[in-house]
Amino acid sequence: MKSIVKFRVNGEQATVHVEPTKTLLDVLREDLFLTGTKRGCDSGECGACTVILNGQAVHSCLILAAELSGQDVLTVEGLSSDPKELHPLQKAFIEKGAVQCGFCTPGLIMTAKALLDSNPNPTEEQVRYGISGNLCRCTGYSKIVEAILTAGEEIQRSNK
Amino acid sequence: MTATLEIEKHSTVGKSIHRIDALEKVTGHAIYGDDIRFPDLLYGKVLRSPHAHAQIRSIDTSEAEKVLGVKAIVTGKDAPFRGGEAIRDQPFLAVGKVRFAGEAVAAVAAETEEIAEHAIELIRVEYEQLPTLFDAVEAMKPGAPLIHEELHTYAHMPIVNPVPNTNICAKFEFNQGDVEKGFKQADYILEETFTFPAGHHCQIEPFMAIAQADISGRVTIWVPNDAPHRLRKDLADAMGVPFERLRVISPPYMGGGFGGKGGLKVEMVCIALALRTDYRPVKIVLTREETFTSSLTKHQAVVTVKTGVKKDGTITASRSKLVYNTGAYAEKGPTVTLHGCESGVGPYKIANVRVEGYTIYTNRPVAGALRGYGLPQSSFAHESLIDMIAARMGWDPVEFRLKNALEEGSINPTRGDALTSIGLKECIVKAAKTIEWGKPRPPNRGVGIACEYKATKTPSGSAAFIKVEQDGGATVITSAVEVGQGIKTILAQIASEELGVPVERITVTSPDTDYTPFDASTTASRATFHMGNAVRLAAKDAKEQILTLAAPMLGVGLGELEAANGEVCVKGGNKKMTIAEVIRRKYRAGLTILGRGSYYPEIQGTMFSARSIFYMYGAQAVDLEVDPETGKIRIIKIAAAHDVGKAINPKACEGQIEGGVVQGMGTAIFEEVKFDSNGKMLNPNFRDYRIPTASDAPEIVAIIVEATHDEGPFGAKGIGEMTLVSTPTAIANAIYNATGIRIKELPVTQEKLFTLLKERNTWIGR
Repeated sequence: MKSIVKFRVNGEQATVHVEPTKTLLDVLREDLFLTGTKRGCDSGECGACTVILNGQAVHSCLILAAELSGQDVLTVEGLSSDPKELHPLQKAFIEKGAVQCGFCTPGLIMTAKALLDSNPNPTEEQVRYGISGNLCRCTGYSKIVEAILTAGEEIQRSNK
Repeated sequence: MTATLEIEKHSTVGKSIHRIDALEKVTGHAIYGDDIRFPDLLYGKVLRSPHAHAQIRSIDTSEAEKVLGVKAIVTGKDAPFRGGEAIRDQPFLAVGKVRFAGEAVAAVAAETEEIAEHAIELIRVEYEQLPTLFDAVEAMKPGAPLIHEELHTYAHMPIVNPVPNTNICAKFEFNQGDVEKGFKQADYILEETFTFPAGHHCQIEPFMAIAQADISGRVTIWVPNDAPHRLRKDLADAMGVPFERLRVISPPYMGGGFGGKGGLKVEMVCIALALRTDYRPVKIVLTREETFTSSLTKHQAVVTVKTGVKKDGTITASRSKLVYNTGAYAEKGPTVTLHGCESGVGPYKIANVRVEGYTIYTNRPVAGALRGYGLPQSSFAHESLIDMIAARMGWDPVEFRLKNALEEGSINPTRGDALTSIGLKECIVKAAKTIEWGKPRPPNRGVGIACEYKATKTPSGSAAFIKVEQDGGATVITSAVEVGQGIKTILAQIASEELGVPVERITVTSPDTDYTPFDASTTASRATFHMGNAVRLAAKDAKEQILTLAAPMLGVGLGELEAANGEVCVKGGNKKMTIAEVIRRKYRAGLTILGRGSYYPEIQGTMFSARSIFYMYGAQAVDLEVDPETGKIRIIKIAAAHDVGKAINPKACEGQIEGGVVQGMGTAIFEEVKFDSNGKMLNPNFRDYRIPTASDAPEIVAIIVEATHDEGPFGAKGIGEMTLVSTPTAIANAIYNATGIRIKELPVTQEKLFTLLKERNTWIGR
């Protein structure tokens, strides 16, 4: 039995007809064509599907779509898709060489955004702990951590 | 070496430019296989064997066929094809019997994933269990039950020699000098056996494929496979059709490969289904559990090494036996074993060497290529034993390695060829220095080092085109696969440098076997060297055509011209015109300049049988601390020095090193796929198969050493595989240094080390 769910995605109203078993990840990828959010394990272990729900980083594969009414979702596509106006995290990931295969990148950027939103000036250890739910098999994390710290500084500077 | 002089004038080679694919990836716009959609797409699901070895008595699909929305159901008899790169031993779906838990037995294509899943549950299979074999050493014994009764009938690569009526799917030997004589010359001889665990690649992107047949009899497959042309050949061989009946398209991006996404995996079932869906495309995406059990694992290995050394530190002989558990099907297991044999002995001057390697069938899931291609297993054994001998003889591990290390002109210990382009000693010295080797450390702190050399797959070919458009931009047309390593960026830099077109004006294609020319594979750390050479030659060809057109326009001879920054200039003068102007002036009605290049090393032999066209060298040093109460290992720093020939993009090389080191660390202290007594995998998920997180990763110092190679593009060799080979051994050697406990079996988990520490304390207490 499908239900109609209205919620906000990247600042716009979305209306979807969903079956009770469908997850936020399913809806983002299959109904809204927001394929930047990746499916790595479908069980909340890899972090590739991380999006921001009402300000919190969540595994979208663990959120039932039917419960989304009225809620606010931000995906990687909502950060910025304008090459000239990238989010400081996106810029820092490019500049620090924090991207390899890129499959974990959207999830990591969303986790990092939630982290910097709640703690604008994290230590390296806090960053490492904060992203430890996002698995990356390519980079060894060094350049990702560096990128997040750099983006944090950049955000602080521009807020002054 | 010649490259030092060139460095001055390089415009982009040697610079850490931003990756050309990074923008797409940070914005979520990069397209991977599962992001590809078709309006009439069907979804496939696979029924897998719960048994490790069993006769299939019957398969009843009648209930599944009744489900509304089911389009096709296949079993082994519907797809009578066998595939496999090394040995053609693997049916597309099980036929007659299953050989591992997780093998495909039946598959369904349906309108939705849910329908396919439901239908799969309705298929009834009756099995009769057969005796199982999980231990490779047991399985290779005479009289062991056979896993492949028909082994003697299978087609195989020339280099692979299966032993009929056994489970020995391949056997290799390397002999140099006389080992018995060498052991007689030795003052110390040590022999030990080491065990390396089965593991998984854990690419974050699960395996997937989309296949579609068309009415003309062609089959197209979209799949993240690291060798589209090899895949086309493997499929053509298996299905008995000519190449042109198959088309392999790489999705623009692959979410990690590490050697695992090659050969035939989900491709087989997907094509079997696609042949029965009235030309509708079928997509299969493996679950994480299936990715663990039914794609590919890393070889569990048992390696016995005997080494003899003189009092002055000279290694007189090395003899080793490698037994690699390749699971139910050969996949690339034979050549993985071969590479383990070829350079596992270590990068040392050793006159007398004998290495025997065995690839053994068992009822484990299929094992195959994983970054390092068999070398991590044998290197762990050999480099641990070197450490043990050094300790026994009172040598410092670094000094002992430096004394024996290969240097320019040294003889390759396993193949006997003279080696060049060797940055090994610099790697050892720099890695050791970076962790302050020799500095006194507090109790329970320790340092360890290990080093390595590695061959690439030889001989193997690569070809490329470069298309220069009327506006002066260029496209590199190549079948190199962007698995995440940055090859698109590297090829753009090489093309830009040679062609004289700014790197921002260069596009690099993804492979499509209909349009992009042959490439052997994006494996074996071969792409920068082989495809880099092909792209450089194609760029040179295109540039020469442009300069030939420009010479009369500028009123000078061809030899007086050069191309840079998108312009053709008279050398030493100020007359110039843009490449776009040259092309437009000549071809007003429009034309493309098409450069072509191909590279195939002039070395005799069939693939894998020849000496390597280049060897990579490296050393890693580890500083760590062990908590004597809990066995917890805190890795403080890992210095990883790797000889890449020439770093086309240093930051990309660093990224390779950092990523490889953390994978190697996972192998050392966390990772092992585990099975119950019936051969069912116990930890096919990221909860129970733990890979390193950002909190686990230590400080890594990536050190790039450049011993340029005369035949490499701008002197480059390769890097990808080297980066995790030494890490587990350097960690194990550091644990010995910290605790006195010698690790002979990986992984050394906290629990295992805790137990070993307790045993040690009891022993000390006595």
